[in-house]
Amino acid sequence: MDLALRDLGEYVQAALHEVVLSVDIDRDELMLTVRREAIVRVLSFLRDDVNCQFKQLMDVCGVDYPSREDRFDVVYNLLSLTHNLRIRVKVQTDERTPVPTVTGVFSSAGWWEREAWDLYGIMFRDHPDLRRMLSDYGFEGHALRKDFPLTGYVEVRWDDEQKRIVYEPVKLMQDFRNFDFLSPWEGVQALLPGDEKAKSGEKR
Amino acid sequence: MGVIQDPKSGVVVPPSGDVDDLWKGVTDAVQEKGFLLTQLDNVVNWARAGSMWPMTFGLACCAIEMMHAYVSRYDLDRFGVVPRPSPRQSDVIIVAGTLTNKMAPAFRRVYDQMAEPRYVISMGSCANGGGYYHYSYAVVRGCDRVVPVDIYVPGCPPTAEALVYGILLLQKKIKRTGTLWR
Amino acid sequence: MAETQIKNFTLNFGPQHPSAHGVLRLVLEMDGETIERADPHVGLLHRGTEKLIEYKSYQQAVPYFDRLDYVSPQNQEHAFALAVEKLLGVEAPPRGQYIRTLYAEIGRVLNHIFTVCAFAMDIGAMTPMLWGFEQREILMEFCERVCGARLHMNYFRPGGVSLDMPAGLAEDIWAWTEEFPKCLEDLEELLTENRIFKQRSVDVGVIDAAQALDWGFSGPCLRASGVAWDLRKAQPYDAYDRVEFDVPIGKHGDCYDRYLVRMYEMRESLKIMQQCLNEMPSGPVRVDDRKISAPPRAEMKHSMEALIHHFKLYTEGYHVPAGETYTVVEAPKGEFGVYLVSDGTNRPYRCKIRTPGFAHLQAMDFLCRGHMLADVVAVLGSLDIVFGEVDR
Repeated sequence: MDLALRDLGEYVQAALHEVVLSVDIDRDELMLTVRREAIVRVLSFLRDDVNCQFKQLMDVCGVDYPSREDRFDVVYNLLSLTHNLRIRVKVQTDERTPVPTVTGVFSSAGWWEREAWDLYGIMFRDHPDLRRMLSDYGFEGHALRKDFPLTGYVEVRWDDEQKRIVYEPVKLMQDFRNFDFLSPWEGVQALLPGDEKAKSGEKR
Repeated sequence: MGVIQDPKSGVVVPPSGDVDDLWKGVTDAVQEKGFLLTQLDNVVNWARAGSMWPMTFGLACCAIEMMHAYVSRYDLDRFGVVPRPSPRQSDVIIVAGTLTNKMAPAFRRVYDQMAEPRYVISMGSCANGGGYYHYSYAVVRGCDRVVPVDIYVPGCPPTAEALVYGILLLQKKIKRTGTLWR
Repeated sequence: MAETQIKNFTLNFGPQHPSAHGVLRLVLEMDGETIERADPHVGLLHRGTEKLIEYKSYQQAVPYFDRLDYVSPQNQEHAFALAVEKLLGVEAPPRGQYIRTLYAEIGRVLNHIFTVCAFAMDIGAMTPMLWGFEQREILMEFCERVCGARLHMNYFRPGGVSLDMPAGLAEDIWAWTEEFPKCLEDLEELLTENRIFKQRSVDVGVIDAAQALDWGFSGPCLRASGVAWDLRKAQPYDAYDRVEFDVPIGKHGDCYDRYLVRMYEMRESLKIMQQCLNEMPSGPVRVDDRKISAPPRAEMKHSMEALIHHFKLYTEGYHVPAGETYTVVEAPKGEFGVYLVSDGTNRPYRCKIRTPGFAHLQAMDFLCRGHMLADVVAVLGSLDIVFGEVDR
């Protein structure tokens, strides 16, 4: 399994060396990072090449890393039935730069790209039907971004005077209890007040 | 469950006692006199409680338990509870599942289309108060924010038995508090 | 007679419709009775599961998977448990694997009974529903006996299952596997050669193999189109590589074949269940790592260390090493995948849930085009759509 994946990774890198940024194998899963603009070419190659035969696009999704410059990953999971292999292709983008759509290569990408647009605000260029899909009609913001609050901004209520459903700012009886278990003793190093001076002193 | 205590003496009243007495009274009156005198209110309430037609409003997981309550084993038909697909024909709406912000206007419209008197059973913790999804950005925190609720059935999901019990409680409520004009 | 302008009209199907299987809103552009375009509006049950999972520890996230596809809850848990196990680098002990396989197959039968009966009901057959649901009721009792909940089991945990099977359960499941084929025969007698049923389902919603692959189909819907692909065979997980079963394949890819594939799959599931029961090894059902699975309650009464472990597990949970995985199982509806990204903390950084229903519903437009309005219901029923998993 591992060997076949390594061979495949090397093969794809050799064939598409100018657009493939990195090839990783982690826990028996092959992962390609490619240039954003070349995603259509990469997926077409993976689908049609006789050694790849990734005929099924199983999933497209976004991942948000707010600290990065190109904050979004768009992840494509492909499946090859003939070789019984999976591959994961990643591209990076930011809030403004659109990713070329792959609906021309795989029909199934249409809704997943719509979903990524809806939940992350990742734009897809030339997508035939890029409407919001899962969130509410008239929803504002992109729900799965890390800076979007869990409880959202609005909640609904029936207003008996106006005789319609009204949207109001969220008011909770009890806030979501969010515990931080990254204790200063074991997890990441917490910066205690005053500590920064000691560290900056060391640097100097 | 279902045990009624006399508030003064603390004696447990058998739950079916009142029903038996009622039937004895009715049969006696019909056999002796050939007719029966009662109040219109009572007849109306009896009729309403005996044929509650719920709107099938399955939203999420609870809908499975609701369907289980309708079909063979629990067989709600024997209580005169026959699911109806149209709000115009139904008296009760069972909100079975998570009510989301997107669904709320549609739900309210269905409720508005029902004819009076109408009752609402909120089934499951999502419909009662958001439950497991309480803190989600997309979920209405309790369907009582949108419609008035008569009976809350707790559980995630409530078993079919719990729903049957909820329906029986609603029957009781109708018999107890029902008036001609609601 | 003067020439009249004929205009397509738009029909709004749902969001509240008895055969919409929940809360689908389908905007249909119609030319008379014929469908020109179907535009499914989903998201009416969008509960923000993926967002909530990012805020809960791994153990707290398991029940969200039950509530996705609530017709066969355990199979979703299975995917998440396997994904977390992969990241943690642990493997369930053999008995745990066999129990999971057994219950995954119970989930499959639960799902297929529901689908077949609801599909039959949608196109006019009432009786299968009444017969099939009695069997579901028995299966839910098995679920209740093993974990305490009828529907949402929260039973498959990362590292095994939460509890061992109680005494006597295995015998009862065995007895049921011997009786159930009779019920299947009854259902087949009602449906398979039924003229009305065939008229409503044969050659309706046809999709061929290449198109099915292109649209991301999986599971019974893909197999009905003639693609021999089953993840249980191709990429076996848990005990599936140790059991014998066949994979039924359809030929035409229409509603009727999808129904037949499901009927045969139930029989295969029974085979798997019987083998699991026969070969069930003894031993622990969860990994013996106290950092991942809680100690038994009896041990906590006298061991301070066990108490600390219990406390830490149920407040903080366990930390999962950083990494990412796309783990799949063959859920009854198709390929159910979890793309899990961990950043080394006790909560998932990202948990994308790939549900088969999403891909299947996407093809609604393709499948319904040119069909009559009444066929929409048949296509919808045969695709086995459940909105909990489509909208998440």
